[in-house]
Amino acid sequence: MMANKVTIGIADMKMAKGEGMLVTYALGSCIGICLYDPAIKLGALVHIMLPLNLETGRKNPMKYADTGIRETLKQMEAHGASRSRITAKIAGGAKMFEDSGGSLGNIGQRNIESVHMNLKKEGIRLLKEDVGGTTARTLLFDVGSGLGCIRSYGRQELII
Amino acid sequence: MTIKNYDDLTSLQLDTLRELGSIGSGNSATALSQMLGREVRITMPEVRIMGYNEAIEWIGGPEEITAGVLVKMGGQMNGIMLSVQQLDFVNLVLHSILGQEVEDYSGLAEMENSALIEVGNIMISTFINALSGLADIKIELTVPAFTVDMQGAILAVPMAEYGGQSDYIMTIGGNFICDNRQIPCRLLLSPDIRSLNFLLRKLGVNDGE
Repeated sequence: MMANKVTIGIADMKMAKGEGMLVTYALGSCIGICLYDPAIKLGALVHIMLPLNLETGRKNPMKYADTGIRETLKQMEAHGASRSRITAKIAGGAKMFEDSGGSLGNIGQRNIESVHMNLKKEGIRLLKEDVGGTTARTLLFDVGSGLGCIRSYGRQELII
Repeated sequence: MTIKNYDDLTSLQLDTLRELGSIGSGNSATALSQMLGREVRITMPEVRIMGYNEAIEWIGGPEEITAGVLVKMGGQMNGIMLSVQQLDFVNLVLHSILGQEVEDYSGLAEMENSALIEVGNIMISTFINALSGLADIKIELTVPAFTVDMQGAILAVPMAEYGGQSDYIMTIGGNFICDNRQIPCRLLLSPDIRSLNFLLRKLGVNDGE
């Protein structure tokens, strides 16, 4: 599972076809969304940070769940993917700090809800997820097999 | 001119923020000295405005485990301040206060955590006090929150909180010098944009509004 590693930063998206490993590090409240068309082995990983795009200029669609999912699907379709075959796996949406006053809100939870809603709206089936909790996750997505691997501090590796 | 993004900061405004950062972290070093009961000096801190991914590289990569103390600002200025405590710093604190060190973060128990939270909280509070005094603004601070996890995810907290407004974050990095050893000190200050404008106006480098 070590072939052609491609790193995805925050508010970023990358695709790979046939083989390759898409990796995004240290998802806290952010969510990594793996979108995959198994028939042509086209995979995309997008790292979103916020639930909704309310920017006027919309310079960075991959920062948000709604525009990130929509734009990624569009680009996958341009590379020959078929909407009806694309499935999703997601990880992230944690609450990194337990604050007593709750002044920070829970962006992780809002991200999870928005990703669920937007996948549904786009007609994408969510196969597996590892979301919520209080620990950060690194997500590795193997485009050859369609499997995701999640690394966390103080927790065993998890395959989704 | 009122700024809408960190991108819009003029060089005079940036210099002002840098100066503020170095006065603030100088005060933090003094507080740390008193707390640890030994001399801690700080090198000229570097105040930078960086994109998200750049900031995570700057702090040493996303997956590295660190301790983070987070305090939220309210009152006349809203924002978040973070103290990112890498292992060298953790051991400097634990050695001075509790007379012991840890191999890695899994060695931290309740007592060690409390010491780290307290040190982070006092460094942040003295920084904010200096800022508040210089700019003559009232800032209230929340009780500190603490976590040990991947530093990329810790940094993403202030980024996400104000991510709808800006793609940048302000970082203050310097090195503490203690017993001829250099120990990295990493503080992050992220005011929301409206508060940043207010601060700049109070400091006399923002004519707008």
